[in-house]
Amino acid sequence: MLAQIAGCAGNGDGLDASGRPNSSGDGSGPLTPDFASIQANVFTPICTQCHVGANAPQGLRLDAANSYGALVGVASSEQPGQLRVRPGDPANSYLIQKLEGRASVGARMPLGQPALPDATIQVIREWIASGATRAAAIGATAFAVETVSAAPASLAIAMTRPADASLVNSTTVMLQKVDTRSGEPADVPARAAISPVNDSLLVLTPDQALAAGQYRLTLRGTGASALADWNAAVLDGDGDGSAGGDYVQTLVIGGAP
Amino acid sequence: MITRRLMGGMAAIAMSLAAMAVRAEPYLAVQQGYKCVACHVNPTGGGMRNAFGNAFAQNVLPAHRIDVGDDSWTGAINRYVMLGGDVRADWTATEIPHQQQTNEFDVSDARVYLNVEPIPGRLSVYLDERVAPGSATNLEAYVRYWTADQAWFVQAGRMYLPYGLRLEDDSAFTRTVPGINMTTSDTGIEVGWESPHWSAQLALSNGSAGGPENDSGKQVTGQAAYVEPRWRVGLASSLNQSDAGDRSTYGLFGGLRTGPVAWLAEADLVVDDGFPEGTRDMVSALLGADWAVIRGHNLKLTAEWFDPDRDVDNDEQTRWSAVYEYSPIQFLQLRGGARFYDGIPQNDLQNRTLYFLELHGFF
Repeated sequence: MLAQIAGCAGNGDGLDASGRPNSSGDGSGPLTPDFASIQANVFTPICTQCHVGANAPQGLRLDAANSYGALVGVASSEQPGQLRVRPGDPANSYLIQKLEGRASVGARMPLGQPALPDATIQVIREWIASGATRAAAIGATAFAVETVSAAPASLAIAMTRPADASLVNSTTVMLQKVDTRSGEPADVPARAAISPVNDSLLVLTPDQALAAGQYRLTLRGTGASALADWNAAVLDGDGDGSAGGDYVQTLVIGGAP
Repeated sequence: MITRRLMGGMAAIAMSLAAMAVRAEPYLAVQQGYKCVACHVNPTGGGMRNAFGNAFAQNVLPAHRIDVGDDSWTGAINRYVMLGGDVRADWTATEIPHQQQTNEFDVSDARVYLNVEPIPGRLSVYLDERVAPGSATNLEAYVRYWTADQAWFVQAGRMYLPYGLRLEDDSAFTRTVPGINMTTSDTGIEVGWESPHWSAQLALSNGSAGGPENDSGKQVTGQAAYVEPRWRVGLASSLNQSDAGDRSTYGLFGGLRTGPVAWLAEADLVVDDGFPEGTRDMVSALLGADWAVIRGHNLKLTAEWFDPDRDVDNDEQTRWSAVYEYSPIQFLQLRGGARFYDGIPQNDLQNRTLYFLELHGFF
């Protein structure tokens, strides 16, 4: 340990400003009012010094894989009546209040570090004011499915941005069990809803725990009642980069074929 | 009268045991050969001082003691209720390469402690409330039960988890990297054991670092320290299981007294599965020396090292601190110092310099 402490800091060769290998392609560059830029210039190099991993303060993980889902449309754990990022409303976004030091609870962020420059906070304000979208971060403007996690008790469907809650129901989010011999699907009674802690996450809860087998998940991106986001952008279900098309994925529960 | 006698007795003990002027923090314990429970209500240190700790703060720490008569402050309102607090008012100047220097006044921390013992020495209800900055926030709220021989305790509620050296400076790498410190309490249950030379605790908690629990995973945290009058050594570990990735933390810490200098050291390995690229191994280390120059004066020098990812070269960070602490009178301390950060050149924040002055009042 003595040898380590006596050593010098790293020379940064081959690393980006966040200390990650240059090949990691974190998108760092000039700070601009889009999520990818804010992640690369603020959240990753500054906030993740504490807000990372299972011990992240307040459970708020701000690494690239988790920050959007933990911030946008998610209630603050310190002030449950406020959203951490309220799209379109930077003044009432708890993130801005914490960065500006006017939050009603706790110290100004980043804790133990100098306050962010006003210009940096202004860029984050602009991102929130323009809707706090994640589009630039995923390289697409489509409202689409990011990942699906399946378990017998529930399915979690991560979207690129919050869905219009009024359109989330059993006709837009459907689950069917596939008979492996005949290939015929049969509807599985289930309740679809937006996660109470993350409105970019759809949760599909079967009436009964799913038995082992093959299932088909469908999110409707066609028809009059297609799934859409709050700006009425219809689901890009077929992944062609433009709105429209059903999202269909086959899932296996319990290791069945 | 009982309180006065108790206070007098405590003061006499403190005076006889301590020759050097120091202030609360792990180095105080190392310098005096005490365990944390000697001066704090919490056996793992920090927060409210007990009657002995208050006597120590009046009779040993300050350069001069203002006489307030026989009825000195013990923290005890009566036999059942104790009150305490800390307020830290700061002026901080920060230099960041390529940026204009900034400086500000701030109340970095103000806390009020309340300990009620409906069964003195056995059962206590403890509250640690941060009242500034911002509105009041609860950081600790628990019920603790001691066995009759004061060897075992069990506590349940919201608490700081037992892990490593409980430094006052929560910005130290060994506090931020493991993520277990005095800004991130957790809710759960803790069992502890105290013997003349041993202090050990084991806690089971939500593992959400103050946030709401949103999965079934839990955090198990434990430490054990062996304490001799001139030295001590301890091991700590924590495993936090969560849906977003598990985090394992292992720490080795210790202290040594050489004349007027108390040495502190800690090294931590953190293995976190929750990063986008998978697992990341992080290492933090601290070596500190506290020199009790004369009564009421302490010079603190600290060297720290942090490797954010063992699999990535050239990304290490260091931090060097020089802090002078002057305790002119009881319950008051002036602190001033500088912290020099050194990191990769392309990150200005990792190369900042911080200067600060602090007025710390406590009771």
